[in-house]
Amino acid sequence: MAAVAPAVDQRLEAYADLAVRVGANVQEGQTVFLNTQIEHAPLARALTRAAYRAGARYVDVRFRDDHVRHALIELGPDEALTHSPEWMKALYRAMEGHALLWTTGDPEPELMSDLDGERVGRARMPEVIEIHRAQMIERSLNWSGVAYPSEGWARQIYGGPDVERLWEAVAFCTRLDEADPVQAWRDHMARLEGRAKTLNELGLDAIHYTGPGTDLTVGLNGNARWMSALFRTRDGLEYVPNMPTEEVFTTPDYRRAEGTIRSTRPLVLEGDIIEGLQLTVQNGKIVDVQADKGAGIVRGQLEVDDRASYFGELALVDGTSRVGQTHTTFFDTLYDENATCHIAYGFGVPEVFDGDPGDGMNISAVHTDFMVGGPELAVDGITKDGATVPILREDVWQLH
Amino acid sequence: MAAALERIDRYAELIVQIGANVQPGQTVEVTARIEHAHVARAVARASYRAGAAYVDVLYSDQHVRRAMIEHAADDVLSWTPPWLLQRAKQFGKENAAIVALVGDAEPELLADLPGDRVGKARMKELGEEIAQQTNEGLNNWVVTGVPSEGWASQLFGTPDVDALWELVEFCVRLDEDDPVAAWRAHVQKLGARAELLDDMQIDSLRYRGPGTDLTVGLLPESRWQGCESTSVTGINYVANMPTEEVFTTPDCRRTEGTVRSTQPLVLGGQIVKGLEVRFEHGRIVEVRAEEGAGVIEGELASDENAALLGEVALVDGTSRVGQTGRVFYETLFDENASCHVAYGSAYAEAVEGGVIDGVNVSSVHTDFMIGGPDVEIDAVLRDGTVVALLRDNVWQLDA
Repeated sequence: MAAVAPAVDQRLEAYADLAVRVGANVQEGQTVFLNTQIEHAPLARALTRAAYRAGARYVDVRFRDDHVRHALIELGPDEALTHSPEWMKALYRAMEGHALLWTTGDPEPELMSDLDGERVGRARMPEVIEIHRAQMIERSLNWSGVAYPSEGWARQIYGGPDVERLWEAVAFCTRLDEADPVQAWRDHMARLEGRAKTLNELGLDAIHYTGPGTDLTVGLNGNARWMSALFRTRDGLEYVPNMPTEEVFTTPDYRRAEGTIRSTRPLVLEGDIIEGLQLTVQNGKIVDVQADKGAGIVRGQLEVDDRASYFGELALVDGTSRVGQTHTTFFDTLYDENATCHIAYGFGVPEVFDGDPGDGMNISAVHTDFMVGGPELAVDGITKDGATVPILREDVWQLH
Repeated sequence: MAAALERIDRYAELIVQIGANVQPGQTVEVTARIEHAHVARAVARASYRAGAAYVDVLYSDQHVRRAMIEHAADDVLSWTPPWLLQRAKQFGKENAAIVALVGDAEPELLADLPGDRVGKARMKELGEEIAQQTNEGLNNWVVTGVPSEGWASQLFGTPDVDALWELVEFCVRLDEDDPVAAWRAHVQKLGARAELLDDMQIDSLRYRGPGTDLTVGLLPESRWQGCESTSVTGINYVANMPTEEVFTTPDCRRTEGTVRSTQPLVLGGQIVKGLEVRFEHGRIVEVRAEEGAGVIEGELASDENAALLGEVALVDGTSRVGQTGRVFYETLFDENASCHVAYGSAYAEAVEGGVIDGVNVSSVHTDFMIGGPDVEIDAVLRDGTVVALLRDNVWQLDA
């Protein structure tokens, strides 16, 4: 056999370069931590190569295997479910100051469906998650996530294993179809940054949503900015944590929300689909949950802690969203939350504050985005002196 | 599909029950390539069924390693990430059970890379930690093979995984009605052979054959081992599946002469063919090969003791691996086809008194085959008597 280098898939390499250069913005000499799963191996390998090409000192690849997790949940002792191995904690601590890439896109969405839901929910590594969350708040890593199209994920979306169709959707949403994707992303992020700047200059006090089943006012925090997903580490390194991203967002004052809001798209939560979600909010708190399907799962989440039923994020997305333009439910938050305007109940986004968030940011173990946007939704800003500023009408951005 | 699953589950049960002998309440560490996932998953299930407290599966990938060898700085090649060192130490401290799955799914993957960089690309500190833990007997562990298309292609020229599974099942006695009982009998046979060799009080071994005239000195404290080991926590385990050898730790200062390897060797993703090495005062001073000498030289440069012998092992023609008549291009199998020696780290369990003078300590341990029908092996006893051990691959002693 001839000794030659293995063939590479150019689309995959370009995708990986985008995630490494624009997404995590890997710097010369950084260690790159890659959280992936064995079914994503082709992408993981391409990301590894791209990271070394970008000057990474070392790339640490952690392959998760959900079948091993299935064995743990099915057969393992109770204590094992929440076990955080010491070495995993050491691994997460070592990420500080370095780059993190992760991959998403569930290749076997039904895998856990035969297990006891309560054990599935409990199977987490709380101590590892805590280390990671502290790093997010301290903004000590540059990170990004990208999806890997697989047969299983394609089947969930389209009903058949049409991986190539999913690849085309992913390439469109992540601007890989552009002649110069890196430049296309720079232009895109500049546009979103422009929107955030305009919103910040308005000095809004609240956002008012109106539409079928929706009449909701949410108060904003005076010390919180609107942002695009052009993040900066505490050392000032810019990165784009989600690819795709189409939103500008802020963390509202969790104490100030009133009215009703109807979700406009299905929501995938803990392996189930919630449809026709309708929430009633009083004094910031969700006091009533109705849904055509799956209301119990949302109610269960809101019970997780005292502040789960308060809002943590408002995000504005218009009809130019490439994800929205696919008219596809991807059953993956990375994609679906970028289709249209959304709101999250639970944990706020610390990045929108300069320094200490103060009292207005919600703190919770939960963060669930649900979609509220679409052509029938009108979004207005309310200024401090009570004036109304139209932001979105019929999915068209109204500000300049 | 059902039959394939049954085969994998049977294999996993044997690995967990006879190989590692997982005990209730133990942590189980599994290391595997991503191509071994189907077996790793079955081992995880079998371990939990055996009462494991937690199963920690660490997957690695040769394409990821290839990217590192191609791009990373020199000092990174042999670097051990601290979290992986901590992981190994943790499993040592916990006296975890360890299952290592091997079998290269893409044997040619690294073939176009510079051999010296491939040879250097090993986590040195991790190697030292594992060698030390092995010497201290902290863990009950097993190394075993997983068939893949790539490995099958290397053997047969076609990706006939099913045929490779059948060979593996024969070698690990899964073809027996009661594989567990068959292993107990096999363990006993090799144990008796090791006992007889110990009673002989051997001073050195002599190898003669084409390109080979080698003397390997033993220590008075060298003890022959069958295939069953016992950890410090008193758990019996079979460290290699298959295993057909009796082995001991030589005096690393007393190897003299030349030896020609009788089978190809796969090392760091490259194939070494026609290897010939010359020893002086215990140390390898010359390496020649028809192919792949660079990767051997890279390994021998890992540390100052890499070029000294750490193991001698005797295997006869009754070996199931030998009976297949196949080169597996995988040390775990090929070393059990035939007699072999290893340069690098020694097994302290094969020495009365552990790591005493003459017992080699290194971050490397690489076996190469020096047996076969053309190689005669004699034992020179301490009183000078010469006793034939192997002729024409036939064991010459009573046990």
